[in-house]
Amino acid sequence: MVSKDFTITNKMGLHMRPAQIFVTAMNKYASDMNIKFNGKNVNGKSIMHIMAACIKFGSQITVECSGPDEEAMLNEAAGMIESGFGEE
Amino acid sequence: MLRGIGASQGFGIGRAVIIEDVNLDYSAVKYSGADGEKARLANAVEAFTDETRQMVEELKKSAGAKEAEILEGHLTMLQDPFMLSQMNDNIDAGSVAEAAVDTVCTMFYDMFAGVDDEMMRQRASDVKDIRDSVIRILLDAKSVDIGAVEKGSVLIAKDFTPSMTSQIKKENVAAIVTEVGGVTSHSAILARAMGIPAALSVINSTGIINDGDLLIVDGFSGKIFTDPTDSQIAEYTEKQKAYLREKESLNIYFNKPSVTKSGAVKKVYGNIGKAEDAQNVVQNGGEGIGLFRTEFLFMDRDHEPTEEEQFEAYSTVAKTMDDKEVIIRTLDIGGDKDIPYLAIEKEENPFLGHRAIRYCLDNRPLFKKQLRALLRAAVFGDIKIMLPLVTTVDEVKSAKEIIEECAKELEGEGKLFKRVPVGVMIETPSAALISDLLAREVDFFSIGTNDLTGYTMAVDRGNAKVSHLYDAFQPSVLRAIEMTVKNAKAAGIMVGMCGEAAADPRLIPKLVEWGLDEFSVTPSSILQTRKNICECE
Repeated sequence: MVSKDFTITNKMGLHMRPAQIFVTAMNKYASDMNIKFNGKNVNGKSIMHIMAACIKFGSQITVECSGPDEEAMLNEAAGMIESGFGEE
Repeated sequence: MLRGIGASQGFGIGRAVIIEDVNLDYSAVKYSGADGEKARLANAVEAFTDETRQMVEELKKSAGAKEAEILEGHLTMLQDPFMLSQMNDNIDAGSVAEAAVDTVCTMFYDMFAGVDDEMMRQRASDVKDIRDSVIRILLDAKSVDIGAVEKGSVLIAKDFTPSMTSQIKKENVAAIVTEVGGVTSHSAILARAMGIPAALSVINSTGIINDGDLLIVDGFSGKIFTDPTDSQIAEYTEKQKAYLREKESLNIYFNKPSVTKSGAVKKVYGNIGKAEDAQNVVQNGGEGIGLFRTEFLFMDRDHEPTEEEQFEAYSTVAKTMDDKEVIIRTLDIGGDKDIPYLAIEKEENPFLGHRAIRYCLDNRPLFKKQLRALLRAAVFGDIKIMLPLVTTVDEVKSAKEIIEECAKELEGEGKLFKRVPVGVMIETPSAALISDLLAREVDFFSIGTNDLTGYTMAVDRGNAKVSHLYDAFQPSVLRAIEMTVKNAKAAGIMVGMCGEAAADPRLIPKLVEWGLDEFSVTPSSILQTRKNICECE
């Protein structure tokens, strides 16, 4: 398993649109993704679970990937989160 | 006559069409085996997807792309493979497809509805809408075909879901009436986007009104005339025509800049009292918010709002305004308001007493909580802080020190925040008379003509015996305004006005001539004010 910590930098947090972009990208990978947030585990491949977690601007999260392509998955996730999902 | 909330402007006259809730009772459905139920579910999801795609296209045409996004979101949510697999797990455990959809959607509904966040509550109602639609498809239950109603129909329902509103053909619907919802509900937003008059929260309207009843719906006041006379019908037909004519003539100012004939660029902003009213400013073409009164956050409750609650309200406004300027006034209360938990002493002369900035400077923990929330919310947009009832330079200096103290604290705590411009409200003769001195301390002025008129004329506008003296056209008031504007100009700071006088067509030419930069008015007066400014030399 590989993992990395992030802070959410887009103003609106992980609402519908960024969650949708994120989940679509993550579902290309065979590995599983678990997002640790606020003491909870959130399935990183499920838009409903991500939205229900209500991950907001400034939230600290840990992304854990495990599986055959875990490195590549974490890399792409990092790129998306750090760029603020192309939002402000 | 019935009464609700006026949620979309205009007057509608027509025949009632009651939209009954579809019966979604699935208790009689028999389990057809796991494979059978899974196939039923897959078919229903496919039918839902087709139906919704079609609605998205229709809604894009009738209300615009932004409104259609809500429904596109429904597709995304139901296509979540994890949501579907949870439904299939329920079927494996012996549930019929309807129960599986109900259980899983309700679980997400509870998760979303439990979060204290407007966007999450919207998602909760989305999940409910998805659940109802998929179960309706599974049961093959028919709802009233909203798209097929005759011209001149007044639609009456408990509430309108996005999938219902998407079927509305605006040329056939004279008005909308619901039993629940307020000005920010989905029904209200859609009604305004489509220009259909609406009265919401009309209690038991589906019970009181019968199919085919002739109705007049006043979308301004929320009134419904259930048995209108011929003369009322004639009156309201005329009113609707006049309203449409006026709207048409003002609409051309929606995207126009507020520029006078000689090319002076002005700004027309809106005044608001609640975070959700920011939406009204945007819909009326406002270029920003010139006055956000924060008192409402403190009233009608039994304890002080937390920093988080305030942060939520201020950042909501900043986000809604999308980087446009938002001027937020700090707490403006005194002995005339009854806020039990603040225990403000009753005073003989509350309007000359311990209120507004005076009260806040003496109650630092309360003041600092608000300032910290403002500085944190500033990250989300262009927030400026405005201090009310200033009469001395020292008050401004003290307030600025406290603001800086809050900024340092937030810095130390590693919290995200932004330092923001600070301005004062010019609403006392004292502030106007020392506006040259105040201008050195602050980044902007906003002239509050309501209190400035009252304090300058020493008159209580509520007292009928003296209220004739309450007049912004009194030379003393005009001089105070002129002096303030000129001192701001000399110091090179922005000067606006947020009292009723800013929308007065007789005063606007004078204000333009003196050089006032910003006019902040009630949202419904924004376009008229811009028109008046554009017609100035």
